[in-house]
Amino acid sequence: MTISVRSITAVFAGEVSGVDITQPLSREDVAAIDAGMDRYAVLVFHDQCLTDDAQRAFTRNFGALEASPGGNITTLAERRLPLDMQDASNLDKDHKPLARDDRRRMFNLGNRLWHSDSSYRAVPAKYSLLSGRIVVDRGGRTEFADMRAAYDALDDATKAEIEDLVCEHSLIFSRGSLGFTELSDTERTMFKPVRQRLVRTHPVTGRKSLFLSSHAGTIVSWPVPEARAFLRDLLEHATQPQFVYSHQWRQWDLVIWDNRQTMHRVTRFDETLVRDMRRTTVAGDATTVAQAA
Amino acid sequence: MAIEIRQLHPSFVGEVSGVDITRPLGRADVAAIEGGMDRYAVLVFRDQRLTDEQQLAFSRNFGELEFTRGTGISKPGELRLDPAFADVSNLDTNNRPLARDNRRRLYSLGNRLWHSDSSFKAIPATYSLLSGRIVSEKGGETEFADMRSAYDALDVATKAQIEDLVCEHSLLYSRELLGFDLTAEERATMQPVRQRLVRAHPASGRKSLYLASHIGSIIGWPMPEARAFIRDLMEHATQPQFVYAHKWRPWDLVMWDNRQTMHRVRRYDESKPRDMRRTTVGGTEMTVAQAA
Repeated sequence: MTISVRSITAVFAGEVSGVDITQPLSREDVAAIDAGMDRYAVLVFHDQCLTDDAQRAFTRNFGALEASPGGNITTLAERRLPLDMQDASNLDKDHKPLARDDRRRMFNLGNRLWHSDSSYRAVPAKYSLLSGRIVVDRGGRTEFADMRAAYDALDDATKAEIEDLVCEHSLIFSRGSLGFTELSDTERTMFKPVRQRLVRTHPVTGRKSLFLSSHAGTIVSWPVPEARAFLRDLLEHATQPQFVYSHQWRQWDLVIWDNRQTMHRVTRFDETLVRDMRRTTVAGDATTVAQAA
Repeated sequence: MAIEIRQLHPSFVGEVSGVDITRPLGRADVAAIEGGMDRYAVLVFRDQRLTDEQQLAFSRNFGELEFTRGTGISKPGELRLDPAFADVSNLDTNNRPLARDNRRRLYSLGNRLWHSDSSFKAIPATYSLLSGRIVSEKGGETEFADMRSAYDALDVATKAQIEDLVCEHSLLYSRELLGFDLTAEERATMQPVRQRLVRAHPASGRKSLYLASHIGSIIGWPMPEARAFIRDLMEHATQPQFVYAHKWRPWDLVMWDNRQTMHRVRRYDESKPRDMRRTTVGGTEMTVAQAA
């Protein structure tokens, strides 16, 4: 059985067949998947009945797991899953949907905004791997935007203008835009803004991409409102239909995406239903720019 | 000379010819323009060399004018134009472009967000009339979105869900989105008002989505859920098939119905003068009862 990848849209995303990722992989298989990620930026695997341990093992083929706090307001005691597995469900510790006005649910609504995982960390994430354990039939899609194609489509003047711009990213900004502003001092400290280049280059392919995210709240040395208005324009440009793939989940799909080349978001769904999605994350290995002293 | 209207977009926007709006209009002309507004929601008049007085006179054909004082952050001494005008330029009282970090300039960047004029007032505006005195060569387009077509295109379940929703609008919300710091005094002048999310046009009866970046919440909803939902609706309503981008020529006058459209300005080189002057026709009624 050899791995093959079928292209999904004209610019990115591939559907993988010929591999069972619940089992240990050969070096060739891992290399084929890595190469697929470099090229397609998003890969979809169907019918992969992963346990948490099997998902971790598969993920480690691509690097170390990200397993640090700082990404959410949910406390360790409240967590449904261990720290090395990000809970993208709508469930509490007892596997029941969170109440409509639950603070954790409010915070997690930030996932409805376009973002790149962990762009609010000085060393942002490489890959994210999301396993659909219990999926919803209507809505709850994950949409991806190809930030390489979006960059390529900018005019030359804009490319020149943004080449060396540096943005500040924080969960404070993305949540603030939803009117979620009541954060404790501990949370504010945890969510201290970090710097990221606006244009980054993929280490393997050398392709440039827009490093956008709703976590970006300003551009260093720009007046904040001007930066926000400009970032909104760029985000709108980058999420036009020709750059977007909308994934309708089937149970036991596993989707991997490269956060260095894509943004994503979840679409609205009926949150009284159970939606159990579990994410592992491959940590990045470098900052995109020096941090403020 | 009879008024003619040529449609510029598949669902809305008309270009008007056969009328000189710098002169007093006959009743038939006014009726023809009003009929055009009901149908097209946005009308473009070319080559209309309006003085401020003439723009005021033309605007008054359609109702009482709205005065802008108290809705922004400019103090009386800082006004470049008569208070019956909303100054949509990038200029100071000496007609020079505002500095990059000028507070009034940063505030006016809110116009880059989709909105409906005066939706933050309990009685919102009907028509806005914008005269392009000095226009930008690159950028600075005004984009319009047809909120009737956007409404029509919603699925039945969404239409049922939103039919009776009421939103809170305030300049606070649109400016907070851009990270603009307001003083306590300014905030006090920006108390949120309530507006229906779905409104029907009094003349045509057509329903439309009453959206604006001034919306901060939906009554009875948790705020972040309301915001996420309003963003989804905004994205739906501003898809290319509902949008007309107006590339300005000097002395264009564009008139739009705020009850049926949203609009925004696109980025332009703000080191060059862009002198745009807006008059606004006030509404006559609220879309919903205000909070006690």
